[in-house]
Amino acid sequence: MKILIIEDEKELVRAIKNFLETEGFLCETASSYFEAEDSISVYNYDIIILDLTLPGGDGLNLIKLIKDTNRQAGLLIVSAKNSLDDKIKGLDMGADDYITKPFHLAELNSRIKSLARRRHFEGGDEIIFNEIKLNVNSGEVFINGKVIDLTRKEYEILLYFIVNKNRVITREAIAEHVWGDDISYAANYDFIYSHIKNIRKKIGLNNGRNYLHSVYGMGYKFSER
Amino acid sequence: MKLLQKTNRAYFLVSGTAFLFAGVVFYFVISFFFKGQLNEKLHHDIKNITRAIKKSGAIPNYYPFIEIREVSKQPEQSFRTTDTLIFNVFENRNIPFRQISLISVINDKEYFIAARDTLIEEDELLEVIAITTGLVFILLLACLYFINRKLYMKIWQPFYKTLDELKEFSHDKPAFRLSSESELYEFMELNKTLEKLTKKVISDYQSLKRFTDDASHEIQTPLAVIQSKLETLMQGTDLKMDQAELINSAYIYTLRISKLTQTLLLLTKIANDQFPDKKAINIAGLIGEKIKMFEDHILEKSLKLSKEIDPECIIETNFFLAESLIINLIGNAVKHNVNNGVINIKLEKAHLEISNSGETLKESPLKLFERFYKTNMSSDSPGLGLAIVKEICRLNKWEISYVFENNLHKVVVNF
Repeated sequence: MKILIIEDEKELVRAIKNFLETEGFLCETASSYFEAEDSISVYNYDIIILDLTLPGGDGLNLIKLIKDTNRQAGLLIVSAKNSLDDKIKGLDMGADDYITKPFHLAELNSRIKSLARRRHFEGGDEIIFNEIKLNVNSGEVFINGKVIDLTRKEYEILLYFIVNKNRVITREAIAEHVWGDDISYAANYDFIYSHIKNIRKKIGLNNGRNYLHSVYGMGYKFSER
Repeated sequence: MKLLQKTNRAYFLVSGTAFLFAGVVFYFVISFFFKGQLNEKLHHDIKNITRAIKKSGAIPNYYPFIEIREVSKQPEQSFRTTDTLIFNVFENRNIPFRQISLISVINDKEYFIAARDTLIEEDELLEVIAITTGLVFILLLACLYFINRKLYMKIWQPFYKTLDELKEFSHDKPAFRLSSESELYEFMELNKTLEKLTKKVISDYQSLKRFTDDASHEIQTPLAVIQSKLETLMQGTDLKMDQAELINSAYIYTLRISKLTQTLLLLTKIANDQFPDKKAINIAGLIGEKIKMFEDHILEKSLKLSKEIDPECIIETNFFLAESLIINLIGNAVKHNVNNGVINIKLEKAHLEISNSGETLKESPLKLFERFYKTNMSSDSPGLGLAIVKEICRLNKWEISYVFENNLHKVVVNF
């Protein structure tokens, strides 16, 4: 799957590119409005990540071009302007999702994969990890083919982990993903632990293995170990 | 008071005074002039009578207009002028007469000769003058009123158009033009000045807006770089425990700076009134939604939540700001609560009360709404939540207050 990253901050591009490449995506980059224009006009991409603040022009204008030349591409807008204006404008113009800087790489990954799924680039509605199977349409979780009962939040957390498997995920990233940006109003993240405990328990009760490991001082990692 | 009303009132007052004054002057002038004429006529009468007596010897008598009788008094050289009242049988009342008299020697006899004529009665004169000036006054006023009205409609029309257009002015629109045209210099100048002024307001607003956008871009992009680098670093498989701790603490502080700048920029944006889009918002619905957002935290602290919410509370405001307000208030009530504490949310009509248990304040409650105020200096939160709440209330002209009663911290917002 081919991704175009349109972003002028080189270090950020490098971090995103490295991250996405280890996830198995093919990445190209454009660091200015004109470079982006060229790439979009010539090539086709599956997903385009667009930073709205670009040297040489307003990123919003690129959306129209993307819609003309890369109709099939999923478009994810990245912006530091946490202004509702831009968000609404961008989504109105045909962007598929919007993420605010700074973001967790795991969150970016989760958004891209969700975009890819919606566009049926990646194996449709089912996500399978060994004995665990998630149906993203129905929101059901199966262990060894048997449905288990997870709450909405537990499901969201599990999905987030599986999408970002083999990576250390911080509590902050999970909190923001499931509860939203405003969660910073909470004093601590202990409540995440209780959700994770429940997920482990429910999977364990259905003879699933425990893939959810605590990583000392940082967060959690979903892996076979 | 409207302009038309004001000018009409001024016209009325000024012309009223002028007419009153004119009436008085008129009265004196007329009565002076009339008396002069009368005196002249009576002098002529006496001369004519004297001449007639000399010629014919007959003594005419037309009482009360002419009275001649023989007297034995010293003749006088000059006329004597007096005013007198004479009874009139027809009118059955006394009537004022002017009398000019002379004792004169005619054909060697002394005669008292008096010529008289009615004076204008003062009250009648007054009445006539009052009526005439009054009528003229009313006529003039009517003319003034109509001219004024006509002019007002015509001349001031561009002014009112400008006024209407100004009322529609909003600093977040890209351009503002006044459409009214007038041949009058003053209005043209007014429009020119207003256009200059609004242009300045719009450009100031735009540059402020650009500043907050640029500032957030310039700060958040490097933070995004740091954050992504730290997250990449975290993936290392051979990290030692102390290294992991260092990375994690750098990571957490990066997030804090990012949140802090976002919040400060939000405060700036609220102060700049960068949230113009307003719509009707169901506050009850918003509260329900945000309670749900905090349900894990409420559970975590075993808080007892009681709600008394009027589902019909609709407030016209910006959605984002309303959301911020509710999140901050509920978030505060949760965050600064104690384990097994309580939260009471009451919403009726345009009145919101959120009270919660918590440690008592050590300082003045007024400080609560200040930026960077913290009860506990080592707390992770920057202490901007209530400052945002206060700014939102200020922008929307809502009343906000805080009291501590029955061991509960209570924040009240009157929409």
